[in-house]
Amino acid sequence: MNEVKLFLGPQHPGMHGNYSVHMYVDGDKINKARPTPGFLHRGFEKLMERRHWMGNLALIPRICVPEPDINEMVYAMGVEALAGIEIPEKAHWIRMLVLELARIAVHVMGLGFIGGPTGMYTATYWAIAQRDLLLDLFEELTGARIYHMFIVPGGVRKDLPEGFSQKVLEKLDELEEKIPEFEELILKHPVIHARTKDNILLPEDVVWELGVTGIGMRTATGKKYDLRKVKPYARYDQVEFEVPVAEYSDALTRLNTKVKEIYQSIGIVRQVLAKMPAEGDVRVPVSSGNALRWTVPEGMVYSAVESNRGEYGYFIVSDGREMPYRIAVRGASYPQGLLGVEKYLKGYRIDDASLWMDSMGVCTPEIDR
Amino acid sequence: MNSTNNTLEQLKAALSPLDAYIAADRQIAMTVNPGETMRALTFLRNEGFAQLSILTCIDWIRDNDFELVYILMNWEKGIHCQLRTRINRENPVFDTATDIFPGARYYEREVHEFFGIEFKGNEDSYKPLFLERWDSIPPLRKDFDPQAYSDSKFPMRDRDKIFKSRTGGADNE
Amino acid sequence: MVLEKKDTRNIWEKIGDYFSANSIWMKWYCTGCGAIEMPPTMTSRFDMERLGMGPMATPRQADVLLITGYLSTKTLRRVIYSYEQMNSPRYIVGFGSCTINGGIYYDSYATINQLDKYLPVDLYIAGCMPRPEAIMNGFNALIEMIKKGEANGWRHYQENYEWYKKNQLESLGEVIIKDEFHE
Repeated sequence: MNEVKLFLGPQHPGMHGNYSVHMYVDGDKINKARPTPGFLHRGFEKLMERRHWMGNLALIPRICVPEPDINEMVYAMGVEALAGIEIPEKAHWIRMLVLELARIAVHVMGLGFIGGPTGMYTATYWAIAQRDLLLDLFEELTGARIYHMFIVPGGVRKDLPEGFSQKVLEKLDELEEKIPEFEELILKHPVIHARTKDNILLPEDVVWELGVTGIGMRTATGKKYDLRKVKPYARYDQVEFEVPVAEYSDALTRLNTKVKEIYQSIGIVRQVLAKMPAEGDVRVPVSSGNALRWTVPEGMVYSAVESNRGEYGYFIVSDGREMPYRIAVRGASYPQGLLGVEKYLKGYRIDDASLWMDSMGVCTPEIDR
Repeated sequence: MNSTNNTLEQLKAALSPLDAYIAADRQIAMTVNPGETMRALTFLRNEGFAQLSILTCIDWIRDNDFELVYILMNWEKGIHCQLRTRINRENPVFDTATDIFPGARYYEREVHEFFGIEFKGNEDSYKPLFLERWDSIPPLRKDFDPQAYSDSKFPMRDRDKIFKSRTGGADNE
Repeated sequence: MVLEKKDTRNIWEKIGDYFSANSIWMKWYCTGCGAIEMPPTMTSRFDMERLGMGPMATPRQADVLLITGYLSTKTLRRVIYSYEQMNSPRYIVGFGSCTINGGIYYDSYATINQLDKYLPVDLYIAGCMPRPEAIMNGFNALIEMIKKGEANGWRHYQENYEWYKKNQLESLGEVIIKDEFHE
């Protein structure tokens, strides 16, 4: 048997982020695969123990690079649960607005990045340009394009600017007209069909064995297991939306589900802008005003939200001092990225390896931290 | 909230833990003895808590203990459960949970690498995963100082060097 | 350590530099969290390709290596390995404050603090992370530097090879890992 050791290395045009898979291939088929994470390891869990509770806000968006707002949301939820803080009503609605806009932006980017493994770069160019128009909205609201630091324990930093709701609705109308063009380009393309239909299946028992969440779980089991419905946070129980499910999970179904979720998120943002209270505070002071002396009572709590890849959570431990004692990060793609690669990448061809990583939603910075 | 209270009473009756309380909205926290952890995990998995969200560890250096935390999720009822147990810090050895939750294999490997806990039965756990050529104590322990390590191996720049800035385009210098 | 500023090129090298400055190919390697602003710079809104820059998958045919953000020790070994596979003249641009002095991860046990000691850097772009407009400004400055003959990092690396290697081995232990598969 002529086996060749091959690196699907850290430098690869079809690889998301900086991740490496070591494969033993025989001809074109993969016999054995081993994941090698650690290229983006910064030691976040140690660094977070060395900064004050408010100072951590500058550090945590960098844990998940494509969708940074979920980090701030789980941190704020955890600290508010430990300290017993009640935030004002308007802050809940603004948080939902920011989270859903972030979800739309990252789904559009995920649709476009199917061009990396398959070679259809037109999709990438279109998707990145569309996403940039949404980043303009973030820049007007929070001051930065990518790392916002907008959701803080106690509410959100500032109120919406004047005329902002009108701009959001206009941009979403434009996006809603562009999505059928995306569907025509990507989902009905014969080459994408040939590569993704009935390929990269995810059966239901694999979902329970590995602990996969998100789109993979909903398309394989057919149940509405979404944290926004099962364990709602921040007024998600007061807006109406559907959670798309399916009975059969191959790569094409998961792409279709992303498009359906974009439509649902656009609907949620429209309802949020209609139901948001017009007046009110957006932030409560959480201490005497001195961030260097703010202590959080003792306790341990786990808080989780539904990101675009699945359940994302922080486990926060406090011992009553000014710095956290321990924070553990649960990345949403940890199961598929590590154990999934080791057990289930066998038998595919080399060109399908990076398509597997893209379709299962492996996001490297949250595995490595 | 009622279903959380009912679940808490049911688990207290079946497992008789050392401590059980409601930690937050729809979240139960329980502490058990180390010897009973596997039985508790099997019982919880059969009760519907079928997903292991994360397995992690806390270093209580003042009490000379490590505390292992398993966080499980029940998707039918929407309840999280934290299962905690304390083991000795001097000689940390524990059983593997991969028979009950196969996804625990890489979590145990990571806990071994960052804290130094051995898991009997998980033969992969001594291989390095995130760190390469690591030459010091496991880094997430409380007696490891990352600033001292960083200053000794990766020294910072001297402050007296001035960089000239360029604006780019036709009008630089 | 100051890079050479005198212009010691002959006429053929000046012509070659003039042409190669207008067609720099970057190596497709996203090393850190600053890489999330590279796709917007490459695509149609900011369009890096009008400067002549485009992506290239293999290091043998690439001209510039962009270090977008921090570098962990594991990545630094592979970056050194790839840099030595590129053909001269080759340039390095450091993005963000993490390459200058450690940035926000200054006390981390896994990231390096000063990129200058291990690889020769021609240009730094400030920011955390730099916006696409700042990246385009930086590339304009790099093109000017190449035309004037000031981007001589690769010559400095060849002339002071022992100094760079000593620094690399002191911080990393070993640069080329032999048993990566550790089966």
